[in-house]
Amino acid sequence: MPELRAKIFAPARDPLWSAIAAVTVSLVLSFLAIASTGRDPLAGFGYLISGALGGPGPFGETAIKSAVLILTGLSVAVAFTVGLFNIGAEGQLIWGGLAAAVAGRVCPWPLCLCAAAAAGAVWGFLPGVLKVRRGVHEVISTILLNWIAIHLVHGWLVAGPLAAGGTASISVAGTEPIERAAWLPRFFSQSRLDVGFPLALIVAAGIWFLLTRTSRGFEWRAVGAGQEAARAAGIPAGRRICEAMALSGALAGLAGGLLILGTEHKYPGVFRTGYGFDGIAVALVGGGTAAGTALAGIFFGAIRAGATRLQLVGIHPSFAELIQGMAVLLVAAPRIFQPLFAKLRPTPQPAASTTPVPTVQP
Amino acid sequence: MKRIALCVCAAALALACKKKQAEHTIGLALDVGGRGDQSFNDGALRGLEAMAAGLRYTARGYQPLPDAEYEKLELHPPHLPIPPPLVLSGKAQEDYEPNLQLLVDQGAELVIAVGFMMEPAVRAVSARNPSAKFLLIDSPVLDGSGRPTTVPNVRAVVFREHEGSMLAGALAGELTRSGKIGFVGGMQLPLIRKFEAGYRAGARAVNPQAQVLVAYTGTFDDEKKGIEVGQDLYARGCDIVFHGAGLDGLGVIKAAQQAGKLVIGVDSDQSHVAPHNVLTSMVKHADLAVYLAVKDVLEGKFAGGDVVLGLREGGVGLAPAGGDAIAAITPEMRSAALADVERLRAAIIAGKVRPPGTLDELARFKPPDPAELGLAHAVAARP
Repeated sequence: MPELRAKIFAPARDPLWSAIAAVTVSLVLSFLAIASTGRDPLAGFGYLISGALGGPGPFGETAIKSAVLILTGLSVAVAFTVGLFNIGAEGQLIWGGLAAAVAGRVCPWPLCLCAAAAAGAVWGFLPGVLKVRRGVHEVISTILLNWIAIHLVHGWLVAGPLAAGGTASISVAGTEPIERAAWLPRFFSQSRLDVGFPLALIVAAGIWFLLTRTSRGFEWRAVGAGQEAARAAGIPAGRRICEAMALSGALAGLAGGLLILGTEHKYPGVFRTGYGFDGIAVALVGGGTAAGTALAGIFFGAIRAGATRLQLVGIHPSFAELIQGMAVLLVAAPRIFQPLFAKLRPTPQPAASTTPVPTVQP
Repeated sequence: MKRIALCVCAAALALACKKKQAEHTIGLALDVGGRGDQSFNDGALRGLEAMAAGLRYTARGYQPLPDAEYEKLELHPPHLPIPPPLVLSGKAQEDYEPNLQLLVDQGAELVIAVGFMMEPAVRAVSARNPSAKFLLIDSPVLDGSGRPTTVPNVRAVVFREHEGSMLAGALAGELTRSGKIGFVGGMQLPLIRKFEAGYRAGARAVNPQAQVLVAYTGTFDDEKKGIEVGQDLYARGCDIVFHGAGLDGLGVIKAAQQAGKLVIGVDSDQSHVAPHNVLTSMVKHADLAVYLAVKDVLEGKFAGGDVVLGLREGGVGLAPAGGDAIAAITPEMRSAALADVERLRAAIIAGKVRPPGTLDELARFKPPDPAELGLAHAVAARP
């Protein structure tokens, strides 16, 4: 299982080109899918593009979704640097959103974002500690923690103690609205583009720097490549895992904060996101690197924003997920099947293995 | 690279300019509950698609609705001369606002927002587009501090659900044999409390001994929770359960099927979901609200402001209880119960009985004197 995961996430020989190829093929396949149902695929793609980029309004929507997807994608990518598969971005995002909604009652937006990141970090730190101290597999613990977050926040806090009082006759679902000062500043009146998108890009740049240009990033990657070897080299592997998971959670929490502070302005009664899970897809297509994740996040954000308009030509808005799913499949599949084919193919390996292996590496 | 980006933008702009809609296009946006809840959302869609446009939504797009089928609907006013409507589902809560704006940009003559969760989006988009017309169903427009207000280009429709629910409670109170009836709500909101308060008051009015068990699922989109809660209420001895829980309610109906007990549907006539178990449905005519708004727009009579639809206006009421479920009840009991419900209905319309709309009002609610209203069954049930 770890080997398989390593292969799925292993940087392909040419990650950029493999991702571009996967995305292109998935777009072509979805074009054919529309055509096969007898609808006009050209008009569909025209709506898709105009819904994503056709003017300041649509671009703002793309930016909102992209920012969230970049951050959840980075969350998954950072956890993978230390060799952990964080499926818990959804739960971390939910806590981040709630923290932002609560902090937004009293703090300006920068502090709210800090609160969101902190809340997400706690929820990401937990599976890290469980893994290091108790050996609990992070896939199991993060999935379970997602459900705990969903039920605690949606089932209890937002519906109970934190619910807006409202009046006896007016139905308002969710928490009290946040203060004006906590709204993310917007740049234009015609667009909902807010500071979230540039912020996500800055964070992506920061993550790139951290992972590739600092000794801490190097140690994380060393732990991800092999814990025992890292430990032998004097790196406190357990601590590094917990740090990376906390950062991973913080990124997902930040994503939740952007949604609440940017568009909702309160924790809504029905907060259906799925962005935490989509982060896995974004990180996969992005090849696990910061730059790739940012690009993939922008691409999927644009598809998401544009897909709403497909309804105008009778195509279900879930079409965006179809494109996304196919892109993931096309990126991941070759890496799963390559080793399989390599094994099936008769190779001159046995002969090679009889040669004495040098025992000491220089 | 820049050139490619420019080309893409130009193409997008060309497309953006091309979309001119036919005259009298009506747009409708749903919240994340979406199409297919057999209840509130489908009610609003019925008002626009079947009643106003005379169309049926299928996997291949809109098809004309045959007259024979149309006349089976409870309300079937004459169709209106409008082209196929634009309907958008919200995939996520942050899509509500762009969806409404998109409908405005598409030239929709009326933009319909279904559900109180759309209220903040309606407030924002209606302020940005003062010349566009909006219909908001199930919530008044609120101002920044959460107080109801009115906006000149938004018609906000709310319903007096407690009036119809009181009839449902009376019917359940009359027909229960175990003396225990149930209510399943969705989220604990004032909106759903109206259903609960009215229902409990109705049961109390005709059968003071009847016990009403109340449970809330906490959601509107989780059928499994509805099944669980429904099973629980039936296991605790309820023989009739009323639900006001959106999609969760379909789960309650499933629980009724499993238990072989009766259930009262909500918002749309749900008897076709389980003909042997759905006694009746407390119908909330979102379809009527939509139809009337479209009609007013076509006739140039559309005006903003609040509209309240109750029993008197035909906005709420019980669906005809003529299914297999009611056929299983003895004719004497059936006719006595239905006659009592009818008398209560007349009394509410005449203002002689005021159904409570909140739990506070329910606590203060004094059941009407059965003899004065001529409630036969209730009088007989007295010791």
